[in-house]
Amino acid sequence: MSGEVATAMFAGGSGPSASARPARLLDPGMCLTLRPMAYPRFFEMYRAAIKNTWTVEEVDFGTDLADLAKMTPAERHLVQRLVAFFATGDSIVANNLVLNLYRHVNAPEARMYLSRQLYEEALHVQFYLTLLDTYVPDHAERQRAFAAVENIPSIKQKADFCQRWIDSICGLERLDTAAQRRQFLLNLICFAACIEGLFFFGAFAYVYFLRSKGLLHGLAGGTNWVFRDESAHMAFAFEVVATIRAEEPELFDDGLERDVRAMLAEAIECEAQFAADLLAGGVAGLSIGDVRSYLAYCADQRLATLGMAKQYGAANPFGFLALQDVQEVTNFFERRVSAYQVGVEGEVTLDAAF
Amino acid sequence: MHSEHVTVIADRSHERDSAPQTTMRVTKRNGTTEPVDLNKIVRAVSRCCTGLRDVDAMRVATKTISGLYDGATTSELDRLSIQTAASLLTEEPQYGKLAARLLATYLDKEVHNQEIHSFTQSIATGHRLGLVNERLAHTVATNARKLNDTIDPARDRELEYFGLRTLHDRYLLKHPQTRLAIETPQQFFLRIACALTETIGDAIELYHLMSTLEYLPSSPTLFNAGTSHEQLSSCFLLDSPADHLESIYQRYTDVALLSKFSGGIGLAYHRVRSRGSLIESTNGHSNGIVPWLKTLDASVSAVNQGGKRKGAACVYLEPWHADVEAFLELRDNTGDEASRTHNLNLANWIPDLFMRRVEANGAWSLFDPKRVPHLPDLWGEAFDRAYEEAEAAGLAAKAIPARDLYARMMRTLAQTGNGWMTFKDASNRACNQTAVAGRTVHLSNLCTEIIEVTSADEAAVCNLGSINLGRHVAGDAFDFAKLARTVRTAIRQLDRVIDLNYYPIPATQRSNLAWRPVGLGVMGLQDVFFQLGWAFDAPEARALSARIAEEVYFHALTASVELAAEKGAHPAFAETRAARGELQFDAWGVAPADPARWDALRARIREVGLRNSLMIAIAPTATIASIAGCYECIEPQVSNLMKRETLSGDFIIINRYLVDALKRLGLWTEHTRTRLLRAEGSVQSLVELPEDLRARFRTAWEVPMRSLIDMAAERGAFIDQSQSLNLFVESPNIGALSSMYFYAWRRGLKTTYYLRSRPATRIAKTTAEIPAAAAVACSLENPESCEACQ
Repeated sequence: MSGEVATAMFAGGSGPSASARPARLLDPGMCLTLRPMAYPRFFEMYRAAIKNTWTVEEVDFGTDLADLAKMTPAERHLVQRLVAFFATGDSIVANNLVLNLYRHVNAPEARMYLSRQLYEEALHVQFYLTLLDTYVPDHAERQRAFAAVENIPSIKQKADFCQRWIDSICGLERLDTAAQRRQFLLNLICFAACIEGLFFFGAFAYVYFLRSKGLLHGLAGGTNWVFRDESAHMAFAFEVVATIRAEEPELFDDGLERDVRAMLAEAIECEAQFAADLLAGGVAGLSIGDVRSYLAYCADQRLATLGMAKQYGAANPFGFLALQDVQEVTNFFERRVSAYQVGVEGEVTLDAAF
Repeated sequence: MHSEHVTVIADRSHERDSAPQTTMRVTKRNGTTEPVDLNKIVRAVSRCCTGLRDVDAMRVATKTISGLYDGATTSELDRLSIQTAASLLTEEPQYGKLAARLLATYLDKEVHNQEIHSFTQSIATGHRLGLVNERLAHTVATNARKLNDTIDPARDRELEYFGLRTLHDRYLLKHPQTRLAIETPQQFFLRIACALTETIGDAIELYHLMSTLEYLPSSPTLFNAGTSHEQLSSCFLLDSPADHLESIYQRYTDVALLSKFSGGIGLAYHRVRSRGSLIESTNGHSNGIVPWLKTLDASVSAVNQGGKRKGAACVYLEPWHADVEAFLELRDNTGDEASRTHNLNLANWIPDLFMRRVEANGAWSLFDPKRVPHLPDLWGEAFDRAYEEAEAAGLAAKAIPARDLYARMMRTLAQTGNGWMTFKDASNRACNQTAVAGRTVHLSNLCTEIIEVTSADEAAVCNLGSINLGRHVAGDAFDFAKLARTVRTAIRQLDRVIDLNYYPIPATQRSNLAWRPVGLGVMGLQDVFFQLGWAFDAPEARALSARIAEEVYFHALTASVELAAEKGAHPAFAETRAARGELQFDAWGVAPADPARWDALRARIREVGLRNSLMIAIAPTATIASIAGCYECIEPQVSNLMKRETLSGDFIIINRYLVDALKRLGLWTEHTRTRLLRAEGSVQSLVELPEDLRARFRTAWEVPMRSLIDMAAERGAFIDQSQSLNLFVESPNIGALSSMYFYAWRRGLKTTYYLRSRPATRIAKTTAEIPAAAAVACSLENPESCEACQ
């Protein structure tokens, strides 16, 4: 423990210190002071995340292999590419979290959330690892699948996009100037809006397409949980953006908006070329044109969340996505029920309201 | 007031712009290609639109083409148009009807293309392929013309899209190699009807009940009737294995054999010694029941039910068993995997004494069954006495505060939905089979609606079927006369199953022929209330719910007496409470509505006997309610907008009664739909809706659980087995749950089923559009749709 930290902790140090509560979220430091809590919303998000704990062991892959066998070659190609992307996607997000986000978001309750998110990203990696091991029994082929970032161009292009944004602020030790903070914001928005909010949303759409046809329950079931987690991650990141905007509205200037729009446009192109590869064999119900509309629609949603005018005016062509927007009622004979919480509290009483 | 700045799913203008694409080609069945012809698709869709005023065939066609790829097959095109129509049903439920009709046409083609044009041809094909049994093939062949004339293809229109898909994917007989259906839905219904009856007249009557979706037998019956393996029963109940290896391993075999032919299994483990118990032969110590259950878990998931659904079992344990704490953790998702069973369901089989100790905040003793081998067979006062003697004799392995254990039960329920609370004494006290001392109900079944005695050489079996109450409303009143007719036909069919049934293990045949129990249930109670315009817990709804239960029980007994007069009472009749004139409501201390008619029936029962020892069991009806297109069993709707996750895929279900009501008010708009989606299918935030409508369209999460328990108890006086009662608590905590289950016990319920709760965080909505930036400002007109305030 550094001397500075020790001072703040034990001597209740006066004046600004690296460990005391900063005035603003992005002010440099490693704040350790949870009370009074500056951002209770982050803490609530952390608690909600804990309640949704799941494990890979709960996912039932029982029927997936049989499904794979009866799918068309075009559909199997889609699945293999998709899983290859997933296998690396969450690791990339985890890397950015560790290298960039954790360092600069200076509130212990926010860092608690990020720690939880980091665990969830690892869990997702474990899930897709298990999935690939199950789907690809041949060891050499399996190795190739895990090396997708290197040798599958459509995946490499997406990985390069992510890596470029990770690198963009990796050298930043502190966020002192407005320019540095805008750089940080772009990184944060990139991971929330482009990577989680576009790349993952794109990938989830394919999974839900298959799911709507009753295929690959293991993949769909696990992805359902992954999606639930990713939705929370995105919500957290946007909450951080909103917090920064409230604290430092001047950061959100025209230049930032221009950069965000350019970034989203590039992300759409990245994802569209991935779609062209995924759907190369032709899959009825998933045309490349429809995927493009869907991505543009997602991008508009992200812009709206960021308080920016929508750009594409596209509609969501995928009716099957409505399926994941509504409550599930699982017939337990057929699927495991996923809608339960952990961390239940309280004591036995016999006259409480119910 | 409704600025339409939000849309669900898609806006129409876009679809019209992006299609048709003239360059695209489809591949025909014979391998040649032709350009996609929009008009041809429109015509095909339009043919199915008769009477559906609110659907747009052009829209389905253009949207279908937009999702197509170059070179797709015509069959892919057909399937895509069906899915496209189905995807629009949240916007307009009539698209669901359209999808169903398109699918029916597609299925007819599938069957006709195999040169199957009539019912008899379908049966002959099935017989040739070894799928249909000799008995049925013979019956059908000798009554060919009459049966072929019975088929009414127009009945396909009774089916909703989801129901038809379910039938097609899992119930229709398939060619073993091509996997194509060799029967249409109507041929399927008639096959089942012929297989389950003794005369052609009865077959035709049963066909009419099923094809109009007024009554459906349970899934195993629908899966297997008339086939070469006629295992038609839904439920099997196995007493605990005895406390030695041979018996424990024999149970795995029993479970596997029963699972293979579609049965759901309940089995107890309370005779098997607990952890730490001495094993004399090896001088080692037992590891208790958990390792045995781990093996059971693997065994259950290894056997799938003929590829149709997964095997499933529920383990029952009495809470005095010293392994009960480890038992309650079996479904946790953390901890040592060697002590986790992700496929097993769990239920607590609770004696009253435990609940009284909870009430008094007293201590509770845990025992090794080896030291108290008599406890599983005792109930009521005899159990209380034996338990307290064992405590006094110092036989307990340990004592804990009763409330600590009760709290753990509640936690398990909240975290896993499992660990169902079922009550041993209430179940035994009111069971028709426990009149003679020594007969004990040791457990319930997989879905907690079957209450039958078991012993070392008697495994209980039950055949189920459910009446669709939603199809028994005439105008603005419930049609009791029709209900009486349906009950009679249903009981005769269920009784027939007992004799037809293939019994995978001998212990089941022994018990079933002696007791001849059946389980007639109901579904669509919520549909009745929607049709009559009542809130689920309104006084008139509660009264009707109890009255329906009484009528079903009365007519079931009447039908069983009639059968006894024809074929004789069931062999064990003399050993039942009914033989002494005691009926279910007597055990509940409830007086029926019209005592004179019951007295006459009682006299007739004493004189003639009953063909069946037990008759009423309300099963969860998950799958058959899907086929029938009604709400499940006696449950309130879970949501006005929800999806069903099944082996056939996921399906959206929208409350069509709500849509009709909103349409009448001119409120069925994009704006309303988006808000409904955002509110997870709740209408409570639709403030423009009159209050009585908001009350009527509450979801299971919004109806007070106390009223569900009250209704279950009022109904319970006329249910000689039990009911699968799910309870719904959005965010459970120990305090509310402990009070709720205590109340359920107090009201005398025999069993409860799942505790349903909801996840703490949700998936981001992809189809509910986020308002454009300009609109993100507080709108006093529509505060509930404004995210700025949330």
